[in-house]
Amino acid sequence: MQTRRETEQKEMSQGLMALLFSAPAVLIIAATILVPFLMAVFLSLHNWNLKRPGRERFIGLENYTDWLTDSDFWEPLRTTFTFAILAVVLIVFIALLISLLLNEKFPGRGVLRALLLVPWAIPSVVNALLWKWLLNPQYGLVNAIAFEIGIITEYQNVLGSMPSVMIWLVIAYSWIHIPLATLLLLSGLQTIPGDIYESAIVDGAGVWQRFLFITLPLLRPMLSIVIIFEMIFALKVFDIIFVLTAGGPADSTNVLGWTIYTETFRKLDFGAGSSVAMLLGAITLALAILFYVFLDRGVEQ
Amino acid sequence: MKQRARIRLIVIYVAAAIVLLGTVGPFLWLVSSSFQYERQLLNRPPQWLPNPIVLDSYREIFEGAVLGEASGVPYQSRIFLRSFANSFFVAGSVAAIAVLTGAYAAYPLARLDFRGRSTLLFGILASRLIPALSLAIPIVLVAKQIGMSDKIISLVFINLSFILPYVIWLLQSYFKTIPMELEDAGRIDGCSRLQVVHKIILPLSLPGLTSAGILAFLLTWGEFLFALLLSESPASYTSTVVVSLFATDVDVSFVSIITAGVISVIPPIAFALIFQRFIISGLLSGSLKG
Repeated sequence: MQTRRETEQKEMSQGLMALLFSAPAVLIIAATILVPFLMAVFLSLHNWNLKRPGRERFIGLENYTDWLTDSDFWEPLRTTFTFAILAVVLIVFIALLISLLLNEKFPGRGVLRALLLVPWAIPSVVNALLWKWLLNPQYGLVNAIAFEIGIITEYQNVLGSMPSVMIWLVIAYSWIHIPLATLLLLSGLQTIPGDIYESAIVDGAGVWQRFLFITLPLLRPMLSIVIIFEMIFALKVFDIIFVLTAGGPADSTNVLGWTIYTETFRKLDFGAGSSVAMLLGAITLALAILFYVFLDRGVEQ
Repeated sequence: MKQRARIRLIVIYVAAAIVLLGTVGPFLWLVSSSFQYERQLLNRPPQWLPNPIVLDSYREIFEGAVLGEASGVPYQSRIFLRSFANSFFVAGSVAAIAVLTGAYAAYPLARLDFRGRSTLLFGILASRLIPALSLAIPIVLVAKQIGMSDKIISLVFINLSFILPYVIWLLQSYFKTIPMELEDAGRIDGCSRLQVVHKIILPLSLPGLTSAGILAFLLTWGEFLFALLLSESPASYTSTVVVSLFATDVDVSFVSIITAGVISVIPPIAFALIFQRFIISGLLSGSLKG
């Protein structure tokens, strides 16, 4: 111990050391997240349109009040929530089913679990391209299968009208998001001790009762985490919209992520774009906190 | 009882078959389509397997990259391989720098006792709650002003900051699993803190560092928003941007578009399958990919 104390004395304080060790990473994060965030707040309080240079001026909360009194905000907000809720429900439902399957012991389970990483590893843009091909109105596989089975009598342009465009957008988006949710739920299932089930079987509980009264309550903490994560991700959806629908047809898939993009980078109104981005961020954050408190309290009870 | 066990196994394998089809089916169809003639793709009913195996669209991409305009292939095909190399450069650099700087930042968070430790950790994590879209606006504005737009080095820098919080979180939780006694033993032998990190913590954390590096690579490879907004020419396009240029262009043949998609996912899928253990353990301790 003597030697250790001596070394300790020769060295600088732990705080200073922590500062030096983390400085490079913290500086990088500050430069590209903290500074731009403050600038985004600044921009959102200004009239700042690149099409009208020289007219930048401080306008307080005008951008915000403009959005909040405009259907150009409320319509995309509703579309965003429609999309996000449908996607979260689909992702969590399918992921729960797959994780229950993978929680059973059977030969080949490891291979199946590994193959889940295939959709997970596909970038969202390539995923959009893949579904654009699958859903092609003339030659798409989805059309071909539905036609051959006899569900449809002629090929459909599912991306050309509501509500089919929303449904397929949700499916395409969910396809690459299900694997991670599955793995998280599976790790949650694996923490449930097996003897609880055994004693339940002795008590005569059926499969459905075991799921409802043992699995679901014990899985709830992990289920909450997955729901919150997927909700946060889905609310800021952008990539797949860009490639698959560009907000169309007739603005029916115009989510807030797309509104921010068009407002800022097509109309070049950086002030309006920043303020609607701030609104989306605030909504996401508020929802995350609300979910956290609500679901967490539910777990305690 | 034996009868029940058999039924259980049948149910499981039917379910597993459905999951398998849903998981790899769509992607295999993309691969199969990329090896067909354009006119075969228009068949009804569709042709499931390529017959013969056609490599024209792959050749197009290589010829386009070498011969340029003289090859007569679409613009996107000509610039695709360069964007592929750009993606490698960006994702590889981000992974290397993120693990290196992230490890030093993670060590004090895992092991040192200092004022503001939990604030620092919270701040690093909370930085990820801000939607990238809102940060993109000022970042693009500044990048254009200081002449850093359309440079892949900017993409490295931006991606780095979005990946670092994950990497730090992952590594600090990994460092905590290393027994304190090992570190103490090193300290008694007279190692400085820096030596402890270099000689004890880092070598023992190789699996954790690998997980973090691979995840950083994969997440950066798939990044699209900043790659789109900060690039203006083939010099800085990454493969996701060129894929989007393909996918939103109605004049390019289906088979070219599909082939670009297939090539651009070869690295991530190969990585994911080769390093699946590292990835799954990393995912479960860090909960990644948005």
